[in-house]
Amino acid sequence: MTIVSMRVNGVEVSREVPDNILLAYFLREELGMTGTHVGCDTSQCGCCVVHVDGVSLKSCTTLAAQVNGCSVSTIEGLANEGVLHPIQKAFAAMHALQCGFCTPGMMMSAVDLITGHGRPLTEEDVREGMEGNLCRCTGYHNIVKAIITASHEMHAGAGDAQAA
Amino acid sequence: MNPITYLRPGSVDEATRLRADFEEAKYLSGGHTLLPSMKQGLARPSHLIDLTAIPGLRGIAVEAGDAALTIGAATRHVEVASSADVLRVVPALAGLAGSIGDRQVRNRGTIGGSVANNDPSADYPAGLLGLGATVVTNQREIPADEYFVGLFDTALEPGEVIVRVRLPVPLAAGYAKFRSAASRYSVVGVFVVRTPQGVRVAVTGAGEGGVFRATALEAALSANFSAEALAGLSIDSGALLRDMNATPEYRANLIMVMARHAVNNMGRVSMYK
Amino acid sequence: MNDRLLKTTNPGGSPLINERLFKSIGKPLQRKEDQRLITGKGRFTDDFSMADQTWAWMVRSPYPHARIVHIDKTAALAMPGVLAVLTGADCMQDGLNAIQHSPVPSTQYDVKLRGPGDTPVFTGQHYLLPVDKARFVGEAIAMVVAETRDQASAAAEAVEVQYEELPWVFDSREAAKPDAPRVWEDIPGNVLVDATFGDIEGTEKAFAAAAHVVTFKSHVGRVTGVGLEPRAALGHYDADGDAYTLYAGSGGAVRQKRELADVLGVDQKKIRVLSFDVGGNFGTRNRLYVEAGLVLWSSKKVGRPVKFRAERSESFLTDYQGRDLVTDVSLAIDRDGKFLAMRAHNLSNVGSVLVSLSPLGKGSGLITGSYDIPLATLRAQAVFTNTMATQAYRSSGRPEVTFAIERLIDRAALQIGMDRVELRRRNLVKPDQMPYMNAVGSTYDSGEYEINMDALLELGDFAGAEARRAEAQSRGKLLGIGFCNYVESSIGTPKERVDLIVHADSVEVVIGTQPAGQGHETSFAQVAADVLNVPFEQVFIIMGDTDVVSAGGGTHSGRSMRHASTIIVLAAEELVMQGRKIAAHVFDVAVDQLAYDDGVFRCLYDNRAWTWFELAAKAAAAKLPPELAAGLRVRFDNEMHTPVFPNGSCMCEIEIDPETGSLEIKRYATIDDVGRCINPLIVHGQAHGAIAQGVGQAMWEGCHIDPATGQPLVGSLMDYGMPRFDNLPSFKNEIAEVLSPTNPFGVKAGGEGGTTGALAVIMSAVEDALLPICGVIEMEMPATPLKVWTAIQEGRKRQREKSPARTDARPEVTA
Repeated sequence: MTIVSMRVNGVEVSREVPDNILLAYFLREELGMTGTHVGCDTSQCGCCVVHVDGVSLKSCTTLAAQVNGCSVSTIEGLANEGVLHPIQKAFAAMHALQCGFCTPGMMMSAVDLITGHGRPLTEEDVREGMEGNLCRCTGYHNIVKAIITASHEMHAGAGDAQAA
Repeated sequence: MNPITYLRPGSVDEATRLRADFEEAKYLSGGHTLLPSMKQGLARPSHLIDLTAIPGLRGIAVEAGDAALTIGAATRHVEVASSADVLRVVPALAGLAGSIGDRQVRNRGTIGGSVANNDPSADYPAGLLGLGATVVTNQREIPADEYFVGLFDTALEPGEVIVRVRLPVPLAAGYAKFRSAASRYSVVGVFVVRTPQGVRVAVTGAGEGGVFRATALEAALSANFSAEALAGLSIDSGALLRDMNATPEYRANLIMVMARHAVNNMGRVSMYK
Repeated sequence: MNDRLLKTTNPGGSPLINERLFKSIGKPLQRKEDQRLITGKGRFTDDFSMADQTWAWMVRSPYPHARIVHIDKTAALAMPGVLAVLTGADCMQDGLNAIQHSPVPSTQYDVKLRGPGDTPVFTGQHYLLPVDKARFVGEAIAMVVAETRDQASAAAEAVEVQYEELPWVFDSREAAKPDAPRVWEDIPGNVLVDATFGDIEGTEKAFAAAAHVVTFKSHVGRVTGVGLEPRAALGHYDADGDAYTLYAGSGGAVRQKRELADVLGVDQKKIRVLSFDVGGNFGTRNRLYVEAGLVLWSSKKVGRPVKFRAERSESFLTDYQGRDLVTDVSLAIDRDGKFLAMRAHNLSNVGSVLVSLSPLGKGSGLITGSYDIPLATLRAQAVFTNTMATQAYRSSGRPEVTFAIERLIDRAALQIGMDRVELRRRNLVKPDQMPYMNAVGSTYDSGEYEINMDALLELGDFAGAEARRAEAQSRGKLLGIGFCNYVESSIGTPKERVDLIVHADSVEVVIGTQPAGQGHETSFAQVAADVLNVPFEQVFIIMGDTDVVSAGGGTHSGRSMRHASTIIVLAAEELVMQGRKIAAHVFDVAVDQLAYDDGVFRCLYDNRAWTWFELAAKAAAAKLPPELAAGLRVRFDNEMHTPVFPNGSCMCEIEIDPETGSLEIKRYATIDDVGRCINPLIVHGQAHGAIAQGVGQAMWEGCHIDPATGQPLVGSLMDYGMPRFDNLPSFKNEIAEVLSPTNPFGVKAGGEGGTTGALAVIMSAVEDALLPICGVIEMEMPATPLKVWTAIQEGRKRQREKSPARTDARPEVTA
């Protein structure tokens, strides 16, 4: 057992847990934050993506102990005081989710991709940059549209992708 | 996953001492190969010794006169991919790092972890072997030509820790890879390097013994560095892998095709889907 | 929005359906379910936990076929945290029954599948844990319950199972042979279905007289659903109430409850099943899994809740799988290109136990596709093999037969030298033939197949394809143009129930469907809102808890929108009658002095009028007589047997790099006639996902088995190629709304059409691209780069050795 402490969506948490607990299960089973999902054993599907110190990673392939002392953001922290994040608004508006299981990881990856890009994304940017996430329902069509749309809102004023 | 004890040493010496104390311990870096293996029960270490907190194992430096690039073992793929230094002196290596796995994998995976694991389909082994790198451990310096021994097998002794890799800066380098539709690992990846001493061609994903140098291609390209020089050459499929993705004959073909693309894309990465 | 003018309106004639007043139906409204799903508040099975919960882990067979000689639990029971180790013998001792899957399609519109010699179909016995043999790799042989999941997993390795390996068979063609290893000793061979349909004599005569006979054979391989939520089940036995509770995502909680009651031998009232958000189904979760029964049974034994959660590797081995049909078809054609007759022989691989014959049955009724083929015969067979059981998988059976007929027609066009579009045009079923009974007895309800086809050709710019081919050629690439038409059927469980309840500020619709992303909470609310003329925002759909949903057919076969829209309007008619009676009582007038129109109850001789919500408030405050005491609430049961036939056309373009054999989809367009489209945002989304799922099978997906060992080669997403962001294009889709005359709104179905045509259209494109080098190809899906490259090498070799099998006007690309 080991004591793992971290800041999750701005709240300090600390738990004594087995050393082998993965970050995904630390969130789901220790903290009861079940928005982060686990869809595979091999870090392929991306359902478990969260941000650690501002960077997206697969929480099913990271021990909680490895991010001891870090700052973690999850899907539960994406909306701000009930105001939806642009990526959440775009996903709902463009029907970018069906069963919704991949959606939390998908949106956390998308936010990292968009913020890391500095300007609105093109379809090619999205299709390459989102390669770490799988969806079985949507055929990606509407997810691509939603991420592009959110990237324009998040980079409003940064010029559009075509001009870049 | 089996129970473990997680350890986070602050120095290489401490890490090696811990490793010596526990017979079934393993070093942990990015964890993106080891943790999935543990989940599947393929690896069952008693202790994980996390190397990433050790000062000095992370970072990228260019030696004076741009002679060589030094990359700390715990340096993550994303850092290599986006490093201004790497992009300036060996852009193909930045491209290679940026082509590994996916964005999230690159945010965690490290060069040391990849090189220590020596997966036969991994990208870094091709980069290191192609560039004629030196693997620097806590004990010695190992030339890449001697380091990559076989499938998941290296010259590392038990407990030996990779500290950094030193990569001579070439005249130019290019990388082309053909990925598996499922795993996204290279079915064939070819790293072509021009140096003042000649051309080096390293092939990953294809060999029964892991990464290897394609000496016939090196000779042809050393004589005439152009895609045309590869025309008429072929690769013996005898020692190439057979799996769901590819037969040895298909891999032999892909090596020639990827070699040509690498030659035509010196300074860049070409990805084939 | 709606891409085609409605040809008929209100075919069922309900007074509550008034298209002019639609405020919600037909609009791309955002989904109600999204709010929770985009904020991390979904309710998937593994999100539920219970106090004092324990964990289950399965001991699974490493062999494709082996006798279970002995199971020694001793070492496992001694492991830390272990509470129980349970085996098939324990199941028997407790009198557990085999799962009753009701695998044989049985509505009057289903083809009648029978055993060899017109015998009843033998199904095998699907016990929670087998006693006698393991019949596929991954079959659960024993179960460990422990305090933690890691402890259960560790102890499972300590369960010592002594097996006696037996000869195995995984290929359906091999399994059908008389001397094949027998999966079940109870019947003489592995063939469990052998039935022949159609006019055999007439078909033979037509073939004898035909100017052309064309044949096509293929194996539509085995795939798996890969819903991203791994299977999970949380079971609890409450000793005080002698009652069971199960949390398990599925395709319908009511069916799970019924079948679990049978398995456990208890009254259905003793079981509550909860299924809320489901992370992908596609058919794989419609049938009961052994783990659902095992967590309930073991919970009673250990006296605590038991949870099971599959690893992805377990899902690859033990989720019900899809397809796996060997098809051999031939077509008789006259000199003008008119189809005269068709013969088909379909062989379905059901796996180790019979879970569903839907794939074979559904496909059987549609072998002639969208075409007017006067005569046909079909031999339908099914065999057991040592593989995971197959089950209806997105568009059960229809992609397979669409693939067969459409590839057959492509081949016919090449063989008789006629344009493939023109050949189809000459044979499509025409609107004035509707309703059209095909040669195997299916009656197509409505459709404008030729209009669809022409609209599709325009949408996909078929006319510009040759110019694009030339452009690709200039870059050294082989462009292939794929094209196909499809018709499918939607039947499904015929019974559905709804409770329609009006409160003072909301309408509740309780219904027994179970979506896994299809948006029922939204589209059903659109229907209820417009039928009752209340705001969409105030309608709430309640599903998934068998304590609330007392009956219902679940979600499969594209049945849900059709059943829901029908039963909602029928229930609403009753609710109006109930409302008039209540209004009469509350306002003290005779019922015949109260009118109802567009959501308003109106007294005919004064100006008093009340909306639904106003009436509900009044009713709640009033003292109603016993016969009205329930208030504005009706329960309605409906049966709807008549199938509908969604249809459409699709086109795609693929570029092949002849050096590597790699394929890239450059263009993909569809027209889908879904009948009335309630929510085009959702229907388009269904089309996109359905396309991806079909394209996946054609290009990347396959549950491959090692022929030397019988071992599955695919155990993770590292081995199973999936549709991804960067291997699919954006799609061009249009919806055609040719209403079905079979139900009040004219709904057909919109969830499966995208898959139905995808296999055929991709392989049509691959063949078209390779035609100059290879001629027609005998390539089984998935069309991997390895297979394409190999076909190119062989084609070139043939070209070098002799003149090609068939000449073609198009020159080969030179890189």
